[in-house]
Amino acid sequence: MPSVCFYFEVHQPYRLKPYGALQVGRDHEYFDSELNARVLRKVADKCYLPANDSMLRLIERTDNRFRISYAITGVAIEQMKQYAPEVMNSFVRLAKTGAVEFIAETYYHSLAALYDKDEYQAQIDLELDLIRSEFGQTPRVFRNTEFIYNDEIGQFIADLGFDAILIEGADDILDWRSPNFVYRVPERETRLLTKNYRLSDDIAFRFSNRAWREYPLTADKFAKWVHQHSGAGDVINLFMDYETFGEHQWKETGIFEFLEHLPDLLFTHPHWDILTPGQVIERYPALGELSFHRTVSWADEARDISAWRGNAMQQRALAEIYSLGADIKRRNNSHLLALWRRLQTSDHFYYMATKSASDAEVHDYFSPYEGPYDAFIHYMNVLKDLNRSVLGPLEERIPA
Amino acid sequence: MKVLMLGWEYPPHISGGLGTACEGLTTALARRGGIDIDFLVPQLYGEEQAPHMHLLGASGSDANQQAPARIGTPSHGGALSQAIASEPALSTDPILMAAIETIERASSVRIGTIEVPAMLKPYLDTSAYLELLRAGGFDEAAVVQRAQELPSPPRDGSRRSEHTHLLQEDFWAPSVEPAMEVHYGWDLFAEVARYAAAAAQRVRGRKYDIVHAHDWMTFPAGIEIAARAKAPLITHVHSLEYDRAAEGADREIVAVEREGLERATRVIAVSYYTRGLINRIHGTPLDKISVVHNGVYTRATVQAYTEQRESTGPVVLFLGRVTFQKGPEYFVQAAARVLEHVPDAKFVMAGSGDMLPRMRALVESLGIEDAFRFPGFVRGADLERTFSTADVYVMPSVSEPFGIAPLEAMSYDRPVIVSKQSGVSEVLRNALKVDFWDVDKMASQIVALLELPELRRVIVERAREEIRHIHWDAAAEKLIPIYQSVAA
Repeated sequence: MPSVCFYFEVHQPYRLKPYGALQVGRDHEYFDSELNARVLRKVADKCYLPANDSMLRLIERTDNRFRISYAITGVAIEQMKQYAPEVMNSFVRLAKTGAVEFIAETYYHSLAALYDKDEYQAQIDLELDLIRSEFGQTPRVFRNTEFIYNDEIGQFIADLGFDAILIEGADDILDWRSPNFVYRVPERETRLLTKNYRLSDDIAFRFSNRAWREYPLTADKFAKWVHQHSGAGDVINLFMDYETFGEHQWKETGIFEFLEHLPDLLFTHPHWDILTPGQVIERYPALGELSFHRTVSWADEARDISAWRGNAMQQRALAEIYSLGADIKRRNNSHLLALWRRLQTSDHFYYMATKSASDAEVHDYFSPYEGPYDAFIHYMNVLKDLNRSVLGPLEERIPA
Repeated sequence: MKVLMLGWEYPPHISGGLGTACEGLTTALARRGGIDIDFLVPQLYGEEQAPHMHLLGASGSDANQQAPARIGTPSHGGALSQAIASEPALSTDPILMAAIETIERASSVRIGTIEVPAMLKPYLDTSAYLELLRAGGFDEAAVVQRAQELPSPPRDGSRRSEHTHLLQEDFWAPSVEPAMEVHYGWDLFAEVARYAAAAAQRVRGRKYDIVHAHDWMTFPAGIEIAARAKAPLITHVHSLEYDRAAEGADREIVAVEREGLERATRVIAVSYYTRGLINRIHGTPLDKISVVHNGVYTRATVQAYTEQRESTGPVVLFLGRVTFQKGPEYFVQAAARVLEHVPDAKFVMAGSGDMLPRMRALVESLGIEDAFRFPGFVRGADLERTFSTADVYVMPSVSEPFGIAPLEAMSYDRPVIVSKQSGVSEVLRNALKVDFWDVDKMASQIVALLELPELRRVIVERAREEIRHIHWDAAAEKLIPIYQSVAA
């Protein structure tokens, strides 16, 4: 009996304000709280609130046979509580249905996995504590920032005790294998759930693309595509940004109607059901080990980490922020620690990417700045101020 | 398809970007094939190289037939002009030579001044004359006294006085048959009108599918010829009088512009910025105006000048006319802010223009004269050296229809900052962009480029890739469908 598994990513970074060289040493407020509030409220109105309503309705209407999973970053939860508390309330209502599973990740949606394993573990622990206290669940399944993954990360997460990890079903990794089965981290029991990127991206990216051969995508058509996998797989993993509903794909595209009808149409085939990741690994055995010869992510055409450290600017910025770690931790100041961690959020580096053509369009879509160069300039100025005014010798520090 | 293009100048005798643009565009069109171009300019000097088309002089000579006419030493040939005439790079510039001639004659005969609007304003102004004279060993006191008789730099928007230049009778006399010599008059409008008449005469009886006129000086000629040949007229706007003089625009020029825009079947603008401006100022409907961005020649090699650098600190460059339009004061204001953060930075303001004395005064009043250099107008090898030894190039133009200099700077692997009020900012991805008035941000961008090698490296590497794609070929690609739709 095959299954569909839904996973949604919910994340909002603390965006930096345009921070010019002349502000260094004078201005210690780095984040654009007005912009961050505006973005969060906009996304809440367009996506979080209506999408949560839809999900709740679907779960109730199907008697909990419709099931979903979320990873909600700590920084997103902080901002929801501050700028749109009603969104948090509706996630709590979803948590109480019993049909929603929460997935762990780093609280700060950072790249710590690649730079500082102690810090990585600390940010995972922070997120686990947050999910426990907000939603009353202890996540058993993990997903790393932007699906960044390699064998080393897999084994590290396995050793932290997680039962499963959600990853990208990259073609060159899967090779002859299908993404529609459960795999295992090499030399560990922890399971791997691989995203079916074709079917996921049909919804997340292509849904409203009029140039697409399959446009318009109806729930009926999509359910048929899923059903075609009957007998040729255990699970179809549909992993995507939650903002797909109402933000990336506007309400006017019919995305909510699509969502509304999809579960019933999936259930028209008697063999198919919908499970959360935790339920998937209970039911289906691992087919074998899946080894990653490179670091994979779910971003850009390349599905690698070039979106965050593909150029010299990104590498410099990342090297610099992580080099501050020891100094920051020595201060034993929770405010300073949180500030440093907010500056680790991967989005800052994503904005600095210099990609060409279609990738650049996606980066531009997300970036609050005029381009990668401005993003780098603002970020480096902030680090300069942090270094000089906050971390510098006491006598050189300028009171805020 | 047979196209008649009307230009005002053609390399190497150019006073601005128009000649270069015409050369690039026609070369790319010829490479595409299928288009036969007659290119008409007021006067040919015999040194033009345009095997890709028929280059016609309105004075009656064709480049392909005419024996090269060497620029002669003026009859009153003074020490300075003789010295410069022996320097090929300089002696090919008719404006410079004419200006020198004027000064030399001024000391013995008279100062000839004519009324010339801003467009034909050469790159020389009073202070540049004086520099030249000093360099030539002339008696400065006498010159200064003479110079006071020279017209002062334009202050308001009315017609600007300028020194005799370009087509002065006895300046050209030694090398050209007097009968062949055509003068379009002392007054620019008379020049434009006579060019129109001469041009119409010159191409009488020839059949054209399209008449394509570049900038307002050729519009009357274009209108006349298109009407006679019953061919559609394309008027191509490289810059508007408004760009050059803002509120002080010359009304007569504006009227000529408008006439050309109204009579055209199609208008071409060099940028969306200019397209919007044409629409706003002249009311030309937007759907009548197509945009064809200018391209630029890519340089095969980056010069070795960098090794000759002497400067101790990093160098920030302004290069262009020092006039209101180019926004030099924003560069100075940004420099003052940069120096607070990068005390050893050096600033070069290369170029001449009516605002140069004010810029010098401003730099002094800000107390940053030690960090500033004003080398005046640079060309040839000096130009290459100036670009090559700069760490950052800034174009803070207040209003720039296109702005080719940033592309030139990029071809030297220099990172550039361009004002958002420029057409070129629309096509460049790998440049920093700033509103010309936002001097804080401009300063911040300069500081960042000086302090962050990674920023410089990524911009330069990607810009190198980018300008390879910004070619005249791309401009020709856009132009051909316009030709086809107009000729149909």
